[in-house]
Amino acid sequence: MGIVTVLWEKWVEFRRDFYKITLAAMIAPLMYILVFGMGIQTISHGQPYLHFLIPGVVALTTMNASFNAIAQNLNVQRLYEKAFDQVMISPTPLWQFVAGQIIGGSLRGIYAGCVIILLVSPIGIRLCFNGWSFLIMFLNGAVFSTLGVVVSFYARNHTDVPRFSNYVIMPMAYLCNTFFTSDSIPHGLREVIQYLPLSQASSMIRGIANGEGFSYAGIGVLAVYLAVLAGAAFWYLYRKKNL
Amino acid sequence: MIEIKNLTKKYHDFTAVDGLNLTIETGGFFGLLGPNGAGKSTTIGMLSTLLLPTEGEILIDGERLDRKNTALKRKFSVVTQEYSMRQDMTIEEIMEYQGRLYFMPKKERRERTRELLEFCDLTDYRKRTVRRLSGGMKRKLMVCRALLTNPEILLLDEPTAGMDALARRQMWNLLKKLNRNRLTILLTTHYMEEAESLCDRVGLMDRGRLEEVDTPGAMIGRLGRYAVDQETDGDMCSRFFKTQDEAVRYLTGLKKDASLRNTTLEDVFLEKAGKYLEKR
Repeated sequence: MGIVTVLWEKWVEFRRDFYKITLAAMIAPLMYILVFGMGIQTISHGQPYLHFLIPGVVALTTMNASFNAIAQNLNVQRLYEKAFDQVMISPTPLWQFVAGQIIGGSLRGIYAGCVIILLVSPIGIRLCFNGWSFLIMFLNGAVFSTLGVVVSFYARNHTDVPRFSNYVIMPMAYLCNTFFTSDSIPHGLREVIQYLPLSQASSMIRGIANGEGFSYAGIGVLAVYLAVLAGAAFWYLYRKKNL
Repeated sequence: MIEIKNLTKKYHDFTAVDGLNLTIETGGFFGLLGPNGAGKSTTIGMLSTLLLPTEGEILIDGERLDRKNTALKRKFSVVTQEYSMRQDMTIEEIMEYQGRLYFMPKKERRERTRELLEFCDLTDYRKRTVRRLSGGMKRKLMVCRALLTNPEILLLDEPTAGMDALARRQMWNLLKKLNRNRLTILLTTHYMEEAESLCDRVGLMDRGRLEEVDTPGAMIGRLGRYAVDQETDGDMCSRFFKTQDEAVRYLTGLKKDASLRNTTLEDVFLEKAGKYLEKR
């Protein structure tokens, strides 16, 4: 099965760069928690701000880890190493290759999310992360891994992926219900932001973490993003004349 | 058998391959030659499905080749012109990845990897990452990787570029041996002696068109089997003769230094390439 082959490749990469990957997953989220949560001690909705912040940081870490694991890597393989040619030529069905990338990216996202959950556990904040939380983290990772696949396919040079990250991923990390609720964003922009995948994931993970439950519609929104982006990736692989 | 029918590839208003028609029989060794930009690599690109043709089709054993036809893709392997490998993987990992991409059973891919690495003197370097290999070693690894899957058709785009003379000879011997075992090979190369030594038929391409297809011997025969090299106004030039007597007669009539030798495929190529350039 081609999916297993891609997961094997991701495992080889993970095993080799274990320390780099783990450290990269920790640094930025830890800074957010230290600076915004513990340095500037505030209260949000009658509770310590950390209750609000940690689920948001878990969601954004999942997003960053999944997107970066796929977009950068695949972009280098396609444009610089030309290693992607090896896959295109092989009999591995291309949909299985994409599916493997999506699953592999999601698992990297979950790994990064788990690292954060483990790191904040000694703080003593009581938050709940259950099977639903991990399903949402997986779906969120899947959406951004697929986005990573699409961006890497459409990138024309090595700087396109970091540029996309600056223009799209970074603003999302700050605006999508992670550090503050999207209710305080001006009308018009708020509606757009609310329907972005990270807003949905943050909101659902936070709802579960604080024992308030979550809306299943959020899972539907993530599934729609996943389907549209996967469609774009498949279109590229099967229809694009010059890879 | 590979059948290429009216194969055309256009990039906006530039035609890289123009209505290519070619048949390569099973077990054939075909060399595609031509000056830079003739369309050889684009043809290999379409045969390996990396590029989709603008028009025309490719049939392998009567079946149409496309990206979705995974059964057909199992039949061939490709050695691309560039080192298309993950730089951070070791030789062993590269082979393992290839075996998995072709759904080879674990035992078979391990055994075949061992055999091929041994044959190409790469066993001692199997734990070394691609980044740390020399150009010649990378080239050998590309060939090992292509042969791992026991293909029926092998597409080689400049397979010996960057190899030293000894490694190149070893590669030729290997390719000859594989071809004797009915492996169909399509080769593009800049080394004319390589094409002459290996290929049973060659095609000369220019500006996307296949200008001539024949055996190397027949092409040489048409130009003249004997060549006289002489220096004229500081430039080296050659004249070709059908018989040795004609060549010797011409040579004895010359006042300057000149030499007689057998015509090679390179002479044919240079003559043709010169004409193509004049046409341009």
